[in-house]
Amino acid sequence: MPIEIPKDKWPGSVRAITIGATSADGGTRAKSITVGGQTALPYMHFEAPMPNKPVVAVEIKSRKPEDWSTLLMNAWGDAMTSPAAWAKKAEEVGADLIVLALTLADSPSEAVAAVKSVLAASGLPLIVWGPGQAEKDNELLVAVSEATKGERIVLGICEDKNYRTIVATAMANGHLVQARTPMDVNLSKQLNILISDMGMPKERILMDPTTGALGYGIEYGYSVMERLRLASLQGDAMTQFPMLVTPGLEAWKTKEAKVGEGVPEAWGDWNARSINWEILTAMALVESGADIVVLRHPESVKRVKDAIGELVMA
Amino acid sequence: MYIIGENIHIISEKVKEALAARDREFFMDLAVKQVEAGAKAVDINLGPRKKDYAEVWPWIIETIETVVDVPLSIDTTNTDGMEAALKSVKKAQPILNSTSAEPERLEKVPALAKKYNAKIIALTMGTSGIPVEADARVNIAVETLIPHLMEIGFNMDDLIIDPLVLTTSGCQQYCPHLIETVRMLQYAWDPAPKISVGLSNVSNAVPNENRPLINRVYLSMLMGVGLQMMIANPLDEKQNQVIKWIETGDTSTPLAKLYNKIAEHTANSDEPQIADFDMSDPEQAAIWKTTQILLNKVIYADAYLNN
Repeated sequence: MPIEIPKDKWPGSVRAITIGATSADGGTRAKSITVGGQTALPYMHFEAPMPNKPVVAVEIKSRKPEDWSTLLMNAWGDAMTSPAAWAKKAEEVGADLIVLALTLADSPSEAVAAVKSVLAASGLPLIVWGPGQAEKDNELLVAVSEATKGERIVLGICEDKNYRTIVATAMANGHLVQARTPMDVNLSKQLNILISDMGMPKERILMDPTTGALGYGIEYGYSVMERLRLASLQGDAMTQFPMLVTPGLEAWKTKEAKVGEGVPEAWGDWNARSINWEILTAMALVESGADIVVLRHPESVKRVKDAIGELVMA
Repeated sequence: MYIIGENIHIISEKVKEALAARDREFFMDLAVKQVEAGAKAVDINLGPRKKDYAEVWPWIIETIETVVDVPLSIDTTNTDGMEAALKSVKKAQPILNSTSAEPERLEKVPALAKKYNAKIIALTMGTSGIPVEADARVNIAVETLIPHLMEIGFNMDDLIIDPLVLTTSGCQQYCPHLIETVRMLQYAWDPAPKISVGLSNVSNAVPNENRPLINRVYLSMLMGVGLQMMIANPLDEKQNQVIKWIETGDTSTPLAKLYNKIAEHTANSDEPQIADFDMSDPEQAAIWKTTQILLNKVIYADAYLNN
């Protein structure tokens, strides 16, 4: 007897959003990346094809970080001393996008120089994060935004307490924004409304619902992602944005990834465990509908990309 | 609609100040205003008052009973405070607000209500918190609350069950379940238990300007499933208008008709239909959007009306 598999047909879809502009579109990127566009839940290939696969961004910093794990220091080596070299190496290990995180020590001109050096070294589309303090974020991101007009960079991070300046400069210079809220569907939607109300085109917003690492609240993170994605498919316009999440940042904060000594032997090899922590965190989020995962370790980049490849083929 | 006026509540800065100053005029005025606006009882929530309950409760009861004759609802978690208040009541049969189904509460509070011949509000909340599902809340009423009250020989006419309204801002998925709980509770026991809800909880943590709309749309749904008693703000004129429209079946204006439609759809276990709404009228469009967040169809955001 033939079995008919029931299929959901959703009234809504996720917006397709393009990051990075090639010379044809007024930028300098070798290629642009499009994410989103889904009309069904993740990997339900029998319901609808997935128009754009999830992509992997690699996080680099404008200055060599002091507080990153020695495992990451060893993996990236000397490349960490210059954002251009680091970006180039990230591209070599398979990054689809670069996230350049600026630091509190950067002046606006240094931030612009770092961003320009990365744009020159790699043809990948770029996301730029401020250091995470409202005043400094605004100061640096406005300078970067103006100096890179037309590149379709993603500027982050917009939060409910500080989004206006970043959104305004992104609007004026043809960039996108990353809207972050703390694992809460209501706040996520609210920030999307506030940013849209400023006049930001909806094709230029990525939402970052925030996540926790495996064992550190990831289930709250992916539950929020699932609810947002369901709402977008049900037709809620203010949730129909691709999702960016930061499993690298979260996974490398955990004890399991950070600590190599004085832990139970059963935890096994430190390096393997740390990388697995980052990969498992990332894959859970990819399966919950993440469109962009931001990673830190080169080995994680390769393995997450392989796994995504298998998921989209399935 | 039997409204227990909620306005004497310690969460209000004015109430806090007036209490600190033992301002009799303030409380007399607030009690009279609520009763004049239609409140059938007056709730008094002054917080736990662990230190001064023995002085505060007799003072406030005496103050308010000086000017109104309606029942007073003694709203506290402090059982010593409850007893101090119950002892002081001289006029109408008071309401003790409240007990839950947690063993310790259930042990003490109904016994006090019985001893002082008070009505009691019983919350459908057990030791593991508030269940989401309507069934589970009804079960707390029929398996724990009602049997315990019967066991101690409580007059069941004096039992009021409160199935606990939670806010659409953060607990949105609870909002439709509460409607179903109110519907089901009326069939859970014979005779049907009295049911009351704390209406304005549905808009806790919502920006003030949006609260009254959410309250009255939710009220129209709850009236559809038979709600006849609530703790609410009796001074909210638009809310009082909605109550009147639904109670009298008044459909003489577009808004009156709309609120009756919402009640009717909810009564019939179906949902308000967009076809009932004139979406070119901003007020009706806002009501439609509010029904959608209350039914958990659209994710709540503070700016949901702009969505």
